[in-house]
Amino acid sequence: MSDGKKAESTEAAAKKKFTRRDFLVTGGTVVAVDALLSTTPAGAVTAASAPPPEKVQAYPASKGYLVYDSKKCTGCTTCMLACSLTHYGEQNLSLARIQITQDSFGKFPYDLDIAVCRQCKYPPCVQSCPVQACFVDEANGNVRRIDTDKCIGCKTCLKMCPQQPHRTVWNHKINKSTKCDLCLDTPYWNEKGGIGGKQACVESCPMKAIRFVTEMPNQQETEGYNVNLRNEHWLKLGLVEDSRIQPPGTGGFGGGAPKAKMQAPKANTQAPKAKG
Amino acid sequence: MPGGYTGKILRVNLTNKQISTLPTEKYLEFGGGHGIGSAVFFDLVGDQLPFEAFDPRNLIIMMASPFSGTFMPGSGRCEVQGLGPMLYPIEWFGHSNFGGRFTAQMKFAGWDGIVVEGASENPVYIDVVNDKVKIEDATNGVWGMDTWDAQQEISRRAVPGLRRGEWAELAQSCYTTQIPAVVTCGPAGERKSRLAALLHGPGSQAALCGFGGVFGSKNLKAISFLGTGSVPIADPKAFMDARLWFRQFQWDVDNPRDAEIFEGSGYSLINGAPSGGNVTNGGPNRVPARAAACASCPRGCKMRLASADSNEAVCAGTMVANVGGGGMFGGFGRKPDPNAMPSALSQKLTRQANDLMHRYGLGHWQVMATRGYIEALVREGVIGKGKQIDFELPPSGSYAYHETMFRTIALREGPLGALAAEGAARMAEKLGRYQKDVSSGLVKLTYYGTQEHYDSATQVEWGYGSILGERDLMLHQMSNYPLHWMAQSGNPYLDAEQASKLYAEAMVPYQDDRYLVDYGEGPTGIYSDSKVKQVAWVKHYEKFWIGAGGFCGWRWPQCITNNSADRRGATPNAEPKFWNAVTGQNKTFADYMELGHKIFTLDRAIWALQGRTRDMEVFPDYIYDQPTRGSIQPMVVDGKWTYATGAGRKLDRAKVEDWKTRFYKFEGYSPATGIATRETLEKMGLKKVADALQKQGKLS
Repeated sequence: MSDGKKAESTEAAAKKKFTRRDFLVTGGTVVAVDALLSTTPAGAVTAASAPPPEKVQAYPASKGYLVYDSKKCTGCTTCMLACSLTHYGEQNLSLARIQITQDSFGKFPYDLDIAVCRQCKYPPCVQSCPVQACFVDEANGNVRRIDTDKCIGCKTCLKMCPQQPHRTVWNHKINKSTKCDLCLDTPYWNEKGGIGGKQACVESCPMKAIRFVTEMPNQQETEGYNVNLRNEHWLKLGLVEDSRIQPPGTGGFGGGAPKAKMQAPKANTQAPKAKG
Repeated sequence: MPGGYTGKILRVNLTNKQISTLPTEKYLEFGGGHGIGSAVFFDLVGDQLPFEAFDPRNLIIMMASPFSGTFMPGSGRCEVQGLGPMLYPIEWFGHSNFGGRFTAQMKFAGWDGIVVEGASENPVYIDVVNDKVKIEDATNGVWGMDTWDAQQEISRRAVPGLRRGEWAELAQSCYTTQIPAVVTCGPAGERKSRLAALLHGPGSQAALCGFGGVFGSKNLKAISFLGTGSVPIADPKAFMDARLWFRQFQWDVDNPRDAEIFEGSGYSLINGAPSGGNVTNGGPNRVPARAAACASCPRGCKMRLASADSNEAVCAGTMVANVGGGGMFGGFGRKPDPNAMPSALSQKLTRQANDLMHRYGLGHWQVMATRGYIEALVREGVIGKGKQIDFELPPSGSYAYHETMFRTIALREGPLGALAAEGAARMAEKLGRYQKDVSSGLVKLTYYGTQEHYDSATQVEWGYGSILGERDLMLHQMSNYPLHWMAQSGNPYLDAEQASKLYAEAMVPYQDDRYLVDYGEGPTGIYSDSKVKQVAWVKHYEKFWIGAGGFCGWRWPQCITNNSADRRGATPNAEPKFWNAVTGQNKTFADYMELGHKIFTLDRAIWALQGRTRDMEVFPDYIYDQPTRGSIQPMVVDGKWTYATGAGRKLDRAKVEDWKTRFYKFEGYSPATGIATRETLEKMGLKKVADALQKQGKLS
């Protein structure tokens, strides 16, 4: 983390300096973690919306979230590269805390997914971290973050994230877990990030397919984060008529109820402000 | 190493299965991409020239640029180089390129490029995952597959158990959610067709030069890259600032500038809006689709459809087949006729027929020329039932017609397939008709066996730039899209004088010449010294920014744009701003253009070693002898700038030859031979190239 941007956790610091070995040897919780994981259906999206079964702990809600429009995304991966650049000063898809997965041969809209950290109401990554490296940053809008100085590299948070792909991201260069911090710690960017600041993925996306919001999205459904960010100008491209997309066996994209014909939001008349 | 480079180029010898590396550092002076590729080719086999394209000594060089794997807008194309079997009469050292995400994964795997030499005894493919390089047996199911199946099968084999949407562990604790990036030849390439392309994804082609056939000649089916590494950036903050600065030149998808003018199909290829490259999906029967982009591109000119046909194909990749009028919907400056909408079925069959071409691995641009020639020979009574070539095609415009055409050519079926797989030029030669049919324009093989693209008598920088190169220039973004199609739309957003002024200001270092884009026949027009400078600028830009930088010719250069407040494009400020931020170098636009001059000079030296002479750098007779229909461009007419077509014009042989003489001198080449002088070569640090030319008696 950069000195200027490093935020202090308000969680109680671990009394003991755990090591990865200590945890693997003494951490009986691992068994419970694995047991939970093995009973969680692949692709489940609701685990983080309900209190975990083992213990209930209240966390203050994050004051910021990233939502996205997977139908507006072109798959250029600029967001991923902006993420790794601003956080690490290099461009690397594997280090990006936002992931675009896609198949050029696939059928729209199932050819592409966007995976962003949901800043969960009940964050399994925070709850499961044995050394409180993953924490709720109350000094910075309750963003769910990972303090890599504390992380012991046990990968529990990777396993406990119920999303696929898991939103906690392994940094193989430092052997630590990382995750989206809404750009609180971006030493390679002059902009201020976090709540009230800017996010590299939002700013760089040429399709404006990612947006920062302060209202907590619906935690029950993927749809809560995968939203419609298209307006009448996008419609004029002649690409999408949502009402015509009815995947077999489901009522609509993401398995939810059939969607009504798209309600086009008004054009955003605020031109983006370029830096520098 | 400067930022942007991984530091090593993969070298694979398929004859002895040896895998080694070349240090990138040795070639840094050539920038990347095309520049390094030319230098590597000269180093490894330059002293053995001339030889043939299907000779095992030929190389397949696929280079990335410092921008590959970064978010530099509209970069990351893969430059493919080697002797091109498509080209005529000599298989020139040629180049082709393709978009997608191939070079990004190449860089993430830790490589700046790959050089393939020799030929394997049995079919193989090359699989690279980070630093693990394997030459894999392709006989077990991959050889014989079409280009789509081959890519997907190789992806499955490269990372067993890989599922999209999940993290895969490539090496210990090195994860990715991405799938391998594969480039492959199809059945056409396996049969060494000179029309064979390389395919990456469903529709991204390296279409020109016939490199699919070179893959086939080497028993090489495909190359796959997947990596988890980083591209280092010299000045990350400056690079991020540059990327956000560039937004002013992009189409604003939520609030486009002057939407009332630029929205709609009339401007779809030139306004920078997403998805306009696929011309088969529009109208009331359009299929829901995504605008799809190559890695790092802020435009996204491609589509992925709910029907998954014509995915990621653009322009000619969606135009060769046209079933029942289902093709060419909108785009290219024209609005579709609302009273003549194609049926959903004809649109779908059009898309699927074009997909067949991609799956066979046929290069769209020259298949189009070859098909046109076949149709002309049917009309001439050469091809048909009981004719010299006894072959009857299904009714023109039917799906069966296209299916038969593509299959016959790709699989070399029958007498027609055997001829057509050689490409239109050699087909004409074998029929004893080359001189007659090319001179008359029956088949318009205008630039070394590649077909005429834009009118050589009016858009002359395209024609001149092509005959001074080795194939069709294919550089739309110079004056073609921004100027020609803007004027063609009938509602240009800049008048001819305004446009010419902004162009001149962008074309550093010749910015003081106001007449760079004068396409008239007057003293500042197509035979003038201004045109010498414009063509030099085009070739230098082509070699450095497009070639060495991996830029997209649909995106760069950008001398004007409808998207900025004052209509100025990003050129010439963007290029060095991005390059310097990535590499840490500190050079000007003009410095890099001079490097483009150097690369151009090296390429021309290689062509000279292959037998290029000044008298080969000419157009076919029909360009000089037949009046053109014209092509709207800015021109100075009676002392005033205007948009005009030049209809009825013929190029004047003597004036073209005089122009060439001045061009050669301007570039430091001998006007007698068109080959660089020793003085020029040594000034550029190319003494060994001068020595090689001297050895062959090529220096005058």
